[in-house]
Amino acid sequence: MEVTKKYWKGIEELNQTPEFTKHRDNEFPFQNSVEQFLVDEQLAESSTGRRDFLKFLGFSVAAATLAACEAPVTKAVPYVNKPEDVTPGVATWYASTYYDGLSYASVLVKTREARPIFIKGNKDFGFTKGGTNPQIIASVLGLYDSERLNGVRAKGVDANISVDKADKAIRSALKAAKEIVVLSPTIISPSLTTALSTFSTAYAVNGLSKVKVVQYDAVSYGAIRKANELNFGASIIPSYDFSKAKTIVSVGADFLSTWLLANEYAVQYGVNRAPGKDMSSHYQFESIMSITGSNADGRVQIKPSESANVLAYILKSIGGSTLVSSALSGEAKKVADAAIAALKSSKKESLVVCGSNNEAEQLLTNAINNQLNAYGTTIDLANDVKLFQSNDKEANQLFDAIIAGKGPDVLINLGANPVYSASNGEALRNGLEGLKMYVSTSRYADESSSVAAYIVPDHHQLEGWSDFKPKATQYAVAQPTIRPLGDTYSSLESVLVWAGAAVRNGKDSTVAYDAIKGTAASAEFGFTDFALLTHNSCGAVSAPISTFAYKAVASSATTKGGEWEVVFYQKTAIRDGGLASNPWLQELPDPISKVTWDNYITMNPVQMEKMGYVTTYDQEHGLNMATVTVNGQKVTLPVYPQPGQAFNTIGIALGYGRGANGEKIGRGAYQTKEYGGYELDDKGKRIAIGVNVYPCVSVFNGLPSYAASATIAKAEGEYLIAATQIHHTVMGRDSIVRETTLSTFLKGDREAFNPIHKLQRLNEHGHHEEAPLEEFDLWNAHPIEKVGHRWGMTIDLSSCIGCGSCLVACQSENNVPVVGKDEVRRGREMHWLRIDRYYASAEESTIGKKANEDDFNYSEAEKAAVNPAVVHMPLMCHHCNHAPCETVCPVAATTHSNEGLNQMAYNRCIGTRYCANNCPYKVRRFNWFNYPSYKKFTEVNPAQDDLGRMVLNPDVTVRTRGVMEKCSFCVQRIQSTKLTAKKEARPVKDGELATACSEACPTNAIIVGDWNDDNSAVKASSSDNRAYQALEEVGVKPNVWYKVKVRN
Amino acid sequence: MQKEAAIREPLILGNKTYHDVTEDVCRPIEGKAPKMWYILFAIALIIGLYGVGSILYLLGTGIGVWGLNKTIGWAWDITNFVWWVGIGHAGTLISAVLLLFRQKWRMAINRSAEAMTIFAVFMAGTFPLIHMGRLWVGYWVLPIPNHFGSLWVNFNSPLLWDVFAISTYLSVSLVFWYIGLIPDFATIRDRAKKPVAKRMYSILSFGWSGRAKHWNRFELVSLVLAGLATPLVFSVHSIVSFDFATSVIPGWHTTIFPPYFVAGAVFSGFAMVQTLLLVMRKAMNLEAYIHTKHVEYMNIVIMVTGSIVGTAYITELFISWYSGVEYEAYAFLNRATGPYWWAYWSMMTCNVISPQLMWIRKLRRSLLFTFFISIVVNIGMWFERYVIIVTSIHRDYIPAAWSMHYPSHIDIAVYVGTIGLFFVFFLLFARYFPVLALNEVKTILKGSGQSYKESPDYHKHH
Repeated sequence: MEVTKKYWKGIEELNQTPEFTKHRDNEFPFQNSVEQFLVDEQLAESSTGRRDFLKFLGFSVAAATLAACEAPVTKAVPYVNKPEDVTPGVATWYASTYYDGLSYASVLVKTREARPIFIKGNKDFGFTKGGTNPQIIASVLGLYDSERLNGVRAKGVDANISVDKADKAIRSALKAAKEIVVLSPTIISPSLTTALSTFSTAYAVNGLSKVKVVQYDAVSYGAIRKANELNFGASIIPSYDFSKAKTIVSVGADFLSTWLLANEYAVQYGVNRAPGKDMSSHYQFESIMSITGSNADGRVQIKPSESANVLAYILKSIGGSTLVSSALSGEAKKVADAAIAALKSSKKESLVVCGSNNEAEQLLTNAINNQLNAYGTTIDLANDVKLFQSNDKEANQLFDAIIAGKGPDVLINLGANPVYSASNGEALRNGLEGLKMYVSTSRYADESSSVAAYIVPDHHQLEGWSDFKPKATQYAVAQPTIRPLGDTYSSLESVLVWAGAAVRNGKDSTVAYDAIKGTAASAEFGFTDFALLTHNSCGAVSAPISTFAYKAVASSATTKGGEWEVVFYQKTAIRDGGLASNPWLQELPDPISKVTWDNYITMNPVQMEKMGYVTTYDQEHGLNMATVTVNGQKVTLPVYPQPGQAFNTIGIALGYGRGANGEKIGRGAYQTKEYGGYELDDKGKRIAIGVNVYPCVSVFNGLPSYAASATIAKAEGEYLIAATQIHHTVMGRDSIVRETTLSTFLKGDREAFNPIHKLQRLNEHGHHEEAPLEEFDLWNAHPIEKVGHRWGMTIDLSSCIGCGSCLVACQSENNVPVVGKDEVRRGREMHWLRIDRYYASAEESTIGKKANEDDFNYSEAEKAAVNPAVVHMPLMCHHCNHAPCETVCPVAATTHSNEGLNQMAYNRCIGTRYCANNCPYKVRRFNWFNYPSYKKFTEVNPAQDDLGRMVLNPDVTVRTRGVMEKCSFCVQRIQSTKLTAKKEARPVKDGELATACSEACPTNAIIVGDWNDDNSAVKASSSDNRAYQALEEVGVKPNVWYKVKVRN
Repeated sequence: MQKEAAIREPLILGNKTYHDVTEDVCRPIEGKAPKMWYILFAIALIIGLYGVGSILYLLGTGIGVWGLNKTIGWAWDITNFVWWVGIGHAGTLISAVLLLFRQKWRMAINRSAEAMTIFAVFMAGTFPLIHMGRLWVGYWVLPIPNHFGSLWVNFNSPLLWDVFAISTYLSVSLVFWYIGLIPDFATIRDRAKKPVAKRMYSILSFGWSGRAKHWNRFELVSLVLAGLATPLVFSVHSIVSFDFATSVIPGWHTTIFPPYFVAGAVFSGFAMVQTLLLVMRKAMNLEAYIHTKHVEYMNIVIMVTGSIVGTAYITELFISWYSGVEYEAYAFLNRATGPYWWAYWSMMTCNVISPQLMWIRKLRRSLLFTFFISIVVNIGMWFERYVIIVTSIHRDYIPAAWSMHYPSHIDIAVYVGTIGLFFVFFLLFARYFPVLALNEVKTILKGSGQSYKESPDYHKHH
C-alpha cells in the first residue's frame, strides 16, 4: 500500500502552473539576487551552515546552563607547599601552659587545620598532673570571641589605629612622666619581670627609677602570705600536697574548686580517696555549701565568725595553745572532735587548710599544722607558689591616689580590672579618666580599660609566647597554637617596646619569643634546649635552699560576727569574673545549686521558710528577692534555698555583673531577650548578668575580707531562675545512687552495700524463688559478647567530686550548643553529659536508702536535710544493650552498633521524641530550635558567630533543628583510635581510648575501654564489688557502670 | 387483631410520612442557611485559621514554641491526638457495631456521628504530623521504596503501628460513611432545582437510581464494611495505647491499657455525639428523629463505658501498690498527690463520678443535664490523656531529671484551633450533607398501618 502521501499547498502546486514553478525556483522574490544579498564574502566562505549554527547555539546554551549549575568553589586554596605537621583531618596537639591570673595548668591544645579547638590537661608534664578546671577547658572559646579587641584602640575612636602611633604617644608620655606605675595581676612570668626591670631602668633619673610595679588580683590570698611571713619570715604560699594527707581538715577552703591551685589539689585529693584501708578522711567546716564541702566525710555548717573558734578548738585539743576563744557546741563540736581524733592518729600526715583571708585565722591554721608536724610532709614551704602575689595595700593606696586625682602621670595596666573588682570601682573609673596617660594591654575594652587613652591589646593565651614560674621549682612556657587572629601584641613585647628595648614587627615579631628563649637559657633556669622545653611545656628548676623555722605568733583580731553574716564565694564556672563572657561557663550548671547564668543569695531553706521566702522554684515560679546591706552597699538578688548553708549566713557569688556599664567584655556576658537580641536598659546599654558584689567586700586589717556581717530584708518581686535540676533528693530510690560507709565496705560483704537485684519467679514446683535479673530477659542479646569491641564505661561515685570539667569538655568536644538562660529555665539545656546532684533527705539513712521501709514519707523525702550529705552523679547516654529508645523509633534513626554503642543517625531522625520519652535516664536532647541559626541564640551560641564557629570540632556534626542528639561515647575518638591501631596492625590497647569526659576528670572517676577485653581497666572496674548499674531492674542492660560511693 | 407490646417507645415521634422525612432532612440543604449558621461558621473559621497560623509558626520556628522540655517530650500534642482519636471512635462504633447488633436507633445518629468521626480523625492526624521535629521528612514513616539504600521503617515501633492503624481507620470510616451517603445524595439530586447543585449532587451520588439491585448491593456492602470496621474500632485505640503500654515508663507500661483506652474512647466519642446532636436536633428541627430515647440509649453507653474506665483507674491504682515496684507505685502516688493532683482529680470527678449519675432515670432523660455531662466527660477525657502522658513522664525514674510542664500559648492555640477547624468541617457538613440517613430512617417508619392505628377510624372499631 502506498504510504507516502503527497500534500500540496495549493491548486497551483497540484497543477504545476508555470507561474508557480517560477516562484518556487526563486525563493526570495526580491529584486536583489542572493549573491547581492550576501555581500559579505567571508560569510559566503564560512563553513558554518544554519544547522551547524543551531548545533553550536544549542551546545553553548546547554554548556552554559550546566556550568551555572556547578556549586561555586570559594576560596578553597590547596596547599601548594603543605606546612609540615598539618594534615587536613588530622589533629595536631601542642603542649602548652594555661595561666590567667587565677588558674594555672600544664595543658595540651588540640588544633585542627591550624585552629585550636580543644584543651585538656597534660598528664605527663607539670605539677598539675593533668588537672584542669572548667575555666581552663572553656578558655579556648575565648579565643574566638568577636568582641575581643583585634587592634590598637585610642580613647574615643571606635576603630583600630596604628600601633606605631600609639607607641609614639605612649613613649613621649613616659619620657615626660615624673611617676610611672605598672599595674598588673600577679606576674609569674620571669621574662616579663626582666622586661619590667629593663623598663624601670629605661625610665630612671639619676639611677632612681620613676617606675613602680603594683600587683593586684581580684581575689586576694594575702592572709596566707602574711601569716607565713610572721611564722616563717617569708611572705609565701606553700605547696600543699593533699595526696600525702590521711586527714584533711578544711575550714572554709573550697580547695577542690576555687581555692588557690584547686585543679592541682583535686588530682592529689583523688589519689587518696579510693575506698580502702588507706582512704583519707576529710572534714569540712564551712558556711556555704561548697564543692569541697559536698565531698567531705564530715561536714558542719558554721558562721564565718566561728572559723577561729573551730581552729582554736582543734589547736587546743591537739596540744597547742591560743588566746582565741575555742567555745564550740552542738554539731560543730561533734564534727570537730571526730576531726581531732583523725588528726591525732594521722599526725604529720594531716593537712589543715583555711579559706579565710583573715590573718589571725591563717596563723591559727599554721599553728595547727605546725603542732601536727605537717610541715615537711603535706606542706612544702620551700617550693612556694608564685601565684596570688596581690599587694592589696599598695594597690589600695594607688587606687585612692587615682581617685583623689593624685595618680601617676602614666599608668600602664597589664590586664588588671580594678574598676570591676575593687570595692571603690566606680570612683576609680572616674579617677582613671583623669590620668594624664593611661595605657592598657587588656584583651577587651573592659571596665578598667574602656577609659584608657590607648589599649594595646595582648594576645589570647593561645596566640602568643609566655613563660611562667608558678612554683619555686618549676619553669614553664606557653607556645602559640595559632597566628594571632587580630593585630594584637604580647604585653611582654609592649613593655620592651615602651622601654625602647625592642622594635615591633607585626605578627611576625619575635620579640617575646626571643625574650623567653633568652630567659629559659639564662643561668637561673638553664634550659638550653628550647625545643625540648616547648615539647614538654615545662621543666624543673632547683629552688634556693632555705630553712624555715616556725616562730609562734600570738593571733590577734579575728573576723567579727554579726546577727547575719555574708560570705562572698567564687562559683566554679565564673570564679572571679575574668571569663564571664564565656557562654559555655555561663551555662555550666553550678555543681551545687545547678543554677546557670546568674548569681544569687544562698540561704538555708529551713530558715527561709520561717522567714516567708519561697523555697521551691521551676520554670514559671521564681524566687523572692532580698536586699542585703553590707559594708554600706546594698545589693538586691533572688534568694536561693541552699541546703547545708549555715543558719543566719548568706552566700553571694563574686564574678557577676561584668560589663554593667555597657563595656564590651564579650558576646556571652549579657542578658538576652526571649525572642533574641540583648536586653537593653533605657540608655540602650546591654544589661549585665547578675550583680557585682565586689563593692561589698570590705577591707579588714589591710586585706579584703570575704566574710562580713550584713543585714537582709525581703524585697519586692519574684525572679525566674534557670536551673538544670529542680528536684534535689533521690526519693529513697536505691538503684540510682548508692553510698556506704568505709567500715561497711571494708567488711567486704557486697550484699550490705551493693545488693544484687533479684526478682521472684515460680520454679517447676510452683514455688516462689529468687533469681538474678539476667534470667528474666525477654529479648535476644545483641551479639556483642566477646565479638569485636564492646565499649563500656565505669563512673566511680566515690572519686567524682562534681567539678564540672567533664561537662565543659564534652560541650567543647561535641559541639554542644549553648541555649541561653531562657531555654535552660524551660528545661532545654543541651548538655550531653549532666551531673546530677542529690542531697540526703531526713527520710533516708544514706542517700537512696529509706530509713524506714514501711513508713516512708514521700513529701518529706522531697526536702533536703538541713545539712545534707551530697552525691554527684555524672550521667550520659548509657548505651543500653536493650535500649528502649531503639525499639520505639519509627524510622530506625537510633540503632545499636555491633560494638555496643547506641548510635544516633541525625539525618534519619524525624523528631518524634518518642526515644527521649522512653529513656529511663532522660539523657536524650532534642533540637527544639535551629540553634546554629535561630535568632534567639545569636548572642549566646558560638556557632552563630563567624569567628565563634571556628571552635567547632570538624569531626562532629552540628545538628539541625528537629533532631534528637545525645552522648555518642565520643564515637569520633573511638573511630580514630581504631584507625590508628589498624594502621599499625595491632589491636586497640587498653587506655588508648579516652572520651572527652574521662580525659577531663581530675580524679580519674571515669574509665572507658573495651569491655570485651578481659584485661581492660573498664572490665576490672565493672567487676569490682562496688560496681552496679543504675536502674538495673528496668532491664535495659546499660554499658555504663557506677561504683558505690564510700564515705570514710 | 394482633396484640402489640406498648413497652418500646417509638424511634420516630409524630406522624411522619415518608415524604415528611425527606422534607425534614432536605430542608436545611435546600433552603437558606440561618443567620446563626453564618455566625457560628465565622467564629469557627477564625479560631481554625488562628490554629493554622500557629501551626505554620510552629513549623517555621521549631517544636520549641511549645512548652515541652528535656524530660517531657510529649504533652499537649499527643494528649490532643489521643483525645481526638478517642472522639473519633463513636461514629464507627455506632454505624458498624450497632449495625451488626441490629440496633435500629442508631439510624438517627449514625450519619452525623460518622461525620464527627472523620473530622475528629482529621484533627487527630494533624498532631502526630506536626509534633515531628522535621515534618518535611515525615514520609519516612511510610514503608515506601527509597533511594537511601536498604533503609526501611522500624516495624518494632508502636508509632509505626499508629501510622497504619490511623490511616486504615480513616479510610474505612470514610468509605463506610460515603457509601451510606450515596442514596441520600441521590434523593437530594432528584429534588435539586439549581443546576450547580444538581450537578454536584449527581456527581456525589455516583449515578444511584434506587433500583432493587442497587439497594441489594448497598445493603451487602454496608454489612461487609461493618464487618471490616468493627475490629478497627477496637484496634485503633488499642494500638494508640501501645505507644504507652510498650514503653518502659512507669504509668505508661501497663497491660490494662488496650481495653481501658477503647472503653475511654467510646466513652468520649458518645459524649461528643451528645454534645453535637443535642444542639443539632434543635437547630435543624430534628426533635422527632433524635429524641429522649436516643439520648437515653447513648447515656447508657456512656454510663457503661464510664464504669469500665473507672474500674480501670482503680485497678491501675491497686496494681501499682500491689506490684511493690518502687517506680510504679510512686508514679500513681504522684498522680494523685503530686504537683498535678488537680489534673488527676479533675479526671476522676469527670470520668468516674459524673457518668454514675446516669443511673438515675430522670437525669439520663434530661437533655440539659446530658448536654452538661457530655461536656464534662470530654473535659475529663482530655485530662485523662494529660494525666497519663504528662504526670507519668514529668517524674519518672531519675529524680534529678524531674520537671514540670507549662503549656505555651502556641500549645493552646493549636489545640483550640483544631476545635475550630473541627467545627468548620462539621458546620459545612450540616449545611450541605443530609445529616440524617434519610433513606435508612424510612425503613423504621411505622408507615400507613401505624397511621391507621392512630386514626379515629381505628378506635371506632374497638
